[in-house]
Amino acid sequence: MWALVDCDNFYCSCERVFRPDLEKHPVVVLSNNDGCVVARSKEAKALGIPMGMPYFRMRKQFDESVVTAFSSNYELYADMSSRVLAILREEVPAVYQYSIDEAFLNITELCLSDVKAWGEQMALKVNKWTGIPISIGIAPSKTLAKVAAYYAKRYPGYRKCCVIATEEQRRKALQLLPIAEVWGIGRKHTLSLNNAGIHTAWDFASQTEDWVNRFYHITGKRTWMELNGHDVLPVDDTEHQKQSIVRSRTFARMLSTESEIGTNVADYAAQCALKLRQQGCVCRKLTVFARGNPFRSDLPFFKDCATHIFTTPTSNTNEIVEAALRMLHQIFRPDSPVKRAGVIIEEITSADAIQPDLFDYDPERRHKLDEISKTLDRLNALMGKNTLRLAVQTDHTN
Amino acid sequence: MRFYPLNGKNRIFVVKIETMKELEILTGDFSADLSLTFADGGVKAGFPSPAQDYIDRTLDFNRDLIKHPAATFYAKVSGDSMIDAGICDGDIVVIDKSLDAIDGDIIVGYIDNEFTMKYLDLSERHRGIIRLRPGNSKYEPITITPDDEFKVWGVVVHVVKSFR
Repeated sequence: MWALVDCDNFYCSCERVFRPDLEKHPVVVLSNNDGCVVARSKEAKALGIPMGMPYFRMRKQFDESVVTAFSSNYELYADMSSRVLAILREEVPAVYQYSIDEAFLNITELCLSDVKAWGEQMALKVNKWTGIPISIGIAPSKTLAKVAAYYAKRYPGYRKCCVIATEEQRRKALQLLPIAEVWGIGRKHTLSLNNAGIHTAWDFASQTEDWVNRFYHITGKRTWMELNGHDVLPVDDTEHQKQSIVRSRTFARMLSTESEIGTNVADYAAQCALKLRQQGCVCRKLTVFARGNPFRSDLPFFKDCATHIFTTPTSNTNEIVEAALRMLHQIFRPDSPVKRAGVIIEEITSADAIQPDLFDYDPERRHKLDEISKTLDRLNALMGKNTLRLAVQTDHTN
Repeated sequence: MRFYPLNGKNRIFVVKIETMKELEILTGDFSADLSLTFADGGVKAGFPSPAQDYIDRTLDFNRDLIKHPAATFYAKVSGDSMIDAGICDGDIVVIDKSLDAIDGDIIVGYIDNEFTMKYLDLSERHRGIIRLRPGNSKYEPITITPDDEFKVWGVVVHVVKSFR
């Protein structure tokens, strides 16, 4: 069984943790430089504010007392995301982060007697510990877990957790779900499916295998199998679709020259590039952020970020490091020493349409690797961090 | 007394989130290790007991004091409303959101669009009243009725004081 954990309106929820007064109030988060709306709370969606709406236009329509807008704070979102994941990892050994606000949990080995009660409990715990509301969908395949989460999110009656376990539950859930809402079905596919008379997820799932083979490639076929309850999407593949990579650090001392900060930023950019290649992915968007020390009241507080869009998505170290240094140059100010800096990589897509890993996928080997990681984690939890590590990692003992 | 930093990347572990009037909430970085030897035999009148074998174990605040890192936040204190509890202006308090607040706890609450830190007094809960008591006789307790928008945000579990 798979559980999909999805944080509700994540960026807005993060802001609300520190502004409990805004709990039922429309909230939006703006892009870099406050250009446009990139995240909306449920209430903001209800007002009809579309994604990507320019901020100035939104302000013309809605007063500050009606909608509260926040500048994006990626450091905060990354921190809250890691908190949510840490809680999930405490409960479930197999957690696969899919994006900053979503994770797949393999809960088969937990042997739960009541998955629904467990899911509700998890949602309550994460909400109490972090202040972030989450929805959980539980089903035999990842695509069905996504469907279940769709319902958990929209209908309060599910108490944050919806389970698709029986044939009856699967049929009902798919019959009510527009095909466009199915994970992996793009807008283009929706149109052609609608033309073929397929409007709900059920319409698609109940087609014959021959029909699917005739009209769809491997991805369409997998979606069809997943909707029919077969767990065929490898976890490696959800890793491939990771939506952001962040590498950042707080420095031991304030750095004030561009070259010093640049050395670090270049390291992070190179790490991101390596990660991309390991996942067989490329990215389109790169952000560099830097800030001063909030506790140095003798210095003006400095915080800025800059974003570069690659015309051709890339995973090339040279290209990514070069772009990162260019962005750093844009925000660097000689009079503002930097205490923390980092690189964020977004809009990540597969390097090629045909994913070779799909054919390399070897469950036995995967299982062995999982076992090694588990042993490693157990030992380090018992004997202290970095007791057991890869030789290539930094040696902290000296 | 000598301290031996055994392993550790010296990292400042706080990130500024939002400036509030009384409390400035911060989110921690718990990834760093900083194990220091721990004089386990107790420190009497400022001196370690001479006979003890005091290099017997290490103390890492992140590891030993932060029980629920995923639910722990820091806050910088402004003002003198909790001085009787030993919490003074400029101190940093450690807040655990995972705990259920009980009578007598020092809590961080949210009322009137502001974070506040007070003793939680639940003794009159049966009458529908919760009181937030300051740790300073100069100030009056705050009375909360079911009509008030009030929320316990987290429970204060430690205070960090710096003397220089």
